[in-house]
Order: sequence, then structure tokens, then C-alpha cells
Amino acid sequence: MDILGISINHKTASIALRETLHLSVDEIKEFIPILKENVFSEGFILSTCNRTEIFGIPKHDNVTYKSIQNCLLKFKHVEGLSSEHFLNYFSCSAVKHILEVASSIDSLIVGDGQIHGQVKDAFHLSNELDFSNTIFHKLYETSVRVGKRSISETLIGQGAVTVSFAAIKVLEKIFSSFESKSALVIGAGETGALATVHLKEKGIGKLSIANRTLSKAESLAKKVGGSVIDFNLLSNSLEEFDIIVSATSSDNYIIEYEEVKLMMKKRKGALACIMDIAVPRDVNPKVAKLDGMFYNDIDSLNVIVNENLQKRKREIPEVNKIIMEEMTTFFKWSNTLDVVPTIKDFRDFFEEIRLDEIGKIRHKVHDYEFEKVDNMTKRIIGRILHYPTKNLKRLSETGTDYETAKKYSDIVRELFNLDKRNNGKE
Amino acid sequence: MLQVMQIMSYWLLLLYFITFAVYSYDFFADKKFLHNAKRLFLFVTLLLHAIYLVERTIFLGHLPIVTQFEIFSLLAFAIGFTYFMLELLTDIRGTGAFILIFSFIFQTQATLFIKDDYLANTLLQNYPLGTHVITAILGFSAISIASAYALMYLLLYKNIKTNKFSTIFKRLPNLEILELLNFYAIIIGFVLLTIAIVIGFTWLPSAFPTFSYWDPKIIATLIVWLIYGVEIILKSRKNIIGQRFAKFSLYGFIFSILSLLFTSTILNSFHDFAN
Repeated sequence: MDILGISINHKTASIALRETLHLSVDEIKEFIPILKENVFSEGFILSTCNRTEIFGIPKHDNVTYKSIQNCLLKFKHVEGLSSEHFLNYFSCSAVKHILEVASSIDSLIVGDGQIHGQVKDAFHLSNELDFSNTIFHKLYETSVRVGKRSISETLIGQGAVTVSFAAIKVLEKIFSSFESKSALVIGAGETGALATVHLKEKGIGKLSIANRTLSKAESLAKKVGGSVIDFNLLSNSLEEFDIIVSATSSDNYIIEYEEVKLMMKKRKGALACIMDIAVPRDVNPKVAKLDGMFYNDIDSLNVIVNENLQKRKREIPEVNKIIMEEMTTFFKWSNTLDVVPTIKDFRDFFEEIRLDEIGKIRHKVHDYEFEKVDNMTKRIIGRILHYPTKNLKRLSETGTDYETAKKYSDIVRELFNLDKRNNGKE
Repeated sequence: MLQVMQIMSYWLLLLYFITFAVYSYDFFADKKFLHNAKRLFLFVTLLLHAIYLVERTIFLGHLPIVTQFEIFSLLAFAIGFTYFMLELLTDIRGTGAFILIFSFIFQTQATLFIKDDYLANTLLQNYPLGTHVITAILGFSAISIASAYALMYLLLYKNIKTNKFSTIFKRLPNLEILELLNFYAIIIGFVLLTIAIVIGFTWLPSAFPTFSYWDPKIIATLIVWLIYGVEIILKSRKNIIGQRFAKFSLYGFIFSILSLLFTSTILNSFHDFAN
């Protein structure tokens, strides 16, 4: 099968380079007609923050990896990128790579579930733009199946692999329910915002936000339905919160040991947790010594993240097994694509001869005799063609040896002049 | 019959060991196939234990609640059964190893030292004594389970505090749940001990001529009852929570076990009905 493709991803290029070649949905819509015209008869484009993948069936033999790369570089008006930033794939390796991407084992964060939706969207867009045909429809179905099986049959998507999610996992080991709990997020930057989203998703009872720039805190609070606490009066209200997440860019501690000590005294031993996910740290780590206070900084949370990432990596062989199974099924199917027309032409050829020959005796014998001859010749042809048909099908369905199946198909076509007959030369 | 009973006793010990081992293995290895299978092991063990207790009752002609080793066997059963019910009701399956170890320890004592031929006091064949002993045993089972939850609480507390994130962190329910289970178990234990004490005070003086309010077993049980009573009050008033509450439960349990062993083996008590 002539699937050809290129990939630029986190393994081959820096984020800056990847960004230059990133294609937005609108750009993909603009780029696909160009590819259709010059490069591929069908295909698909996947472009995320970590990768841009372009795969398709070449329109003619002159299409090479280089021509796909040039086409992309020209479209994006990018210069200075060399071939070493691209990975090139053909046939089996192309399908394998697409399935690896779909299964999330090729992702920057192994097992990142986001890729499943992105692959689906890419195939849908291709279909929408009439850029997807028989082979890529099948490849889409296979990719979706690989994604689903990877999640359901292996542990590739298990465990927290981001610091914010790891923080939530720790909190879940302390508190039974978030609904009756109150949380304070200090810092309204990207990390703080992500923490508020996670807490909101877990159904936190009361959410407050504090930030040096009040307007930012107000904006985030409005977005997530929380309240705002005056950053300069933080220490006065610490005891109200069961969970404190701190993610500011402050160079010094913004919460000191004595403040937390007083907070715990006021809480009369009720458990509390501080997640200090800022670098440098926002809270004096000495607070970890206080009874009933759980303190986690980014290093301790990274212990969970790294452990889970290792666990996910250990699942890669299992996912590869799934990929191999699905590849076998896919290539069995694709091999029949070439053999099926041969079998049809081959049988049609014999049927034509049969009809031609019995047509010669049509008016020389009685109807009942003609019927007998008709049935007899059908049986003869059926028996003659049984093994060649069966063996051609077997050749195409067993293994992924496309070349062998094609060779046999070509021999049959050559021996019986099937192509010339179809072209009306005989 | 005697021989069958002895064989069953050893089988029980083996089954408790296997059940405890399976629960422990599942706790550390987290094997999917053991999630339901381990419950089956516990069920079979409890079923055999129930048959053993019935058989013993028939053979002796009274409830097997006379010697401390019979009581240990009943305690093993009560703890296992209570845990089995808790697991069925809450579907929290990760705590079994911490609780079933008590069943195993009690049954080991019972199997190794239990006597099958002794003359029991005729007074033991009446209804109030049965209720008194069974409520006391169930009460002690409940506080044993409470202590197991307290221990789990302290282990998990330490794990989170020290950022270890070991198997304890992964497999145990959260701290608040463990604290709640601990508290509930203590309340149940306290209520049952109260019933046992009330029945004891109303029935024992008339039944035993040698009865004394200064009997070591009565004093020890009253102290245990007081410890847990105080703990319930302090917890209800939120005077002790978290780690302190767990430690209180654990110390209470250690005291109750030591006092039970001490009063049963060293001090003389009219509670020893085997003689």
C-alpha cells in the first residue's frame, strides 16, 4: 500500500520550530486542496502543539517525502528547516506511526487522552473536505479502535501525570468529599487557573482566589464562580480554608511558618493541606512539621507524576501488541483491495467463455437439454475456479505481505489477459 | 466428634492464614483477579467457623463461651464477620488485611490452646449469660476493628506527611473515611460493651455467690468502657480529631487487650468458668 507521510514532532523539533509549522483548522482547510491537486489522492492532516502529521496516498510516482515537506514549507512560508526535523514514513511504517499516534504512545506525555479526540477531528476534517476515501476511512476506524482499546485494555491512561492532577490525587487521600471543603488559590496565572479548574471539576464547596493584581483575581473568580480574597490580608483568613494552592511567581515566601501555625491553632487540629506548586516556593516548607497540616511542593508532587509516567511507559509493549493486531487486520483488508477485482475479472472471464460456448448450442437442443448443459458447465467452471479463488483470497488475507499478494494477482491478470480485456483490446 | 472438632480447628487456622495472606497479597500486588476471589476465601472461612461453633455447641451442650480461648475463637469469627459485612456494605476492599490479622491472631491462640474436654459450670447454660458474653465479644470485636482503622489512619497520615506515596497511599481509603469508620466502630463497640456491663451487673451478683465488684475482669472492662466513653465525648465535641483520635483508639485497644490477657491469665477471677 502506497501510504506516504511526514511528521514533525516533539522528538524531532523544538517547540519554536513546531510552532512555525503548526496548521490551524482554517489553514488545514486551505492546505488540503493544494495537496489534493498536486500530491495526494486522499489523506489526512493532524496538527497539534506537539506535532504536525501529513499522510496520504500519492497521486503519482514522483511524489516523495521531500515534495510533501516542500509543499508544507512553501504553504507556511518557512525557510531554513532541514529534512532532519522531519520523520518520513511509507506503507507499513506509515500505518504503524498513525496508530502509535492514535494510541497516545507517541505523545509527549505518554497516555495523554487528548490525542484521541485530535486524531478523530483530523480524520473528520479530511472527510469533510472530501480528502478521505476507502483507505483513509478504514484507517480512521482502525485508529479510533486502537485508541479505545489502548485505554480499555491497558493502563496507558492511568494515574496523574500533571502536577495539578497529582495535587488533586493527594487531596483525595485526605478528604472524603470536596463539597464540604473550602479552597484558596493564590496566584491567577496559568497554573493557578488550572488548579481552579481541577478543584471546580471535583466539586469544591467554596473557592476563593487571591492575586497580587486584583483585577486578574476578579477575572478568574468570575470565570470559575469563586470569590476574591485581598492578597495583602491573606494571613487573616487562612484558617477558613481546608485547601490552599499557591502558584505565584513571588521570589520570597508569601506564607510564613508562624502564620500557618496560628492558622492550625485556630482550626483546632482540623486537617488542612497546602499545595505549593510555585517555583521558587511560596510557603515556608517548615509548615510540614505542624500536626494536621499536609504540605506538598512541586518536587513531592513530581514523585507521583514520574512514577505514573514510568507505569504508563511500562504499558507500551501491551499497546504495541494492540497496534500489531489492528495492523494485521488493516493490511488483510487492504490486500484484498487489489485481489478482489482480480478475482471478479477472473470469474467474469470464465463466465463469458461459458456463456459464449453454450450460446452456440442454444437453438440446436431442446430447452431441457440446454438447461442440463447450462447447469453442468456452471458446475465445471465452479470447480475449476474454486482453488484459484480460494488461494488468491488466502494470499491476500494472511499476513501483511502486500507484495506477494500483488505478485500473484498480477500473474493471474497477465496469464488470462484480464487487463487487456478490461481495456477493450480483446 | 472430638477428633472432627480438633481437625476443623486446625483447618480454621489454616483458612484464616490463607485469607489473611490473600488479602495482604492483593493489598500489595493489586491483582484484579483477587478483588472478588479474596471475598470468597473469607466467606468459606467464616462458613467453616460457623459450622465449627455450632458443632462445638452441640458437643459441649452449651455455647462455646466458657474459656478465654473459646472466646478468642468467637472474637476471630466476630471480627471476620463484621469486616465481611462492612466490605459488602461499603465496598471498601483495601482494608481487609489490617483487620483480618486480628482474626488470625485470635484464632491462632484458640487453635493452639483450646481445650475440648472440661467441665463447665451449669450456670453457663442460661440465656442472660449468653447475651452477656456475646455482646461483650461483639463489643471487643468492634473496638478491635476500630483500632485497625486507627492504625491504617496513622500509616496513611505518615505516608502523606512524608510524601512517600507507597502502596499504603495507593490502596487505602482517604483519611476522613478511615476516621469515620474508626468512630462508628467505637460507637458500636461502646454500645455493645454497655449492654454487656448492664446485663453483667444485673445478673451476675445473683448467679455467682463469689461475685465481687472488685473482680479484676470487671474493673478492667469498666476502664475500657470509660476510655471509649471519654473518647466518644471528646470526638463529638471535636476536642480530639485526626491523628490524636486515631492514637487514642489505638491506645484504648492496646489497654483492652493487655487487660484481657492479664486478667485471664495472671489474676484470679470468678469469670473463669472452666474450673
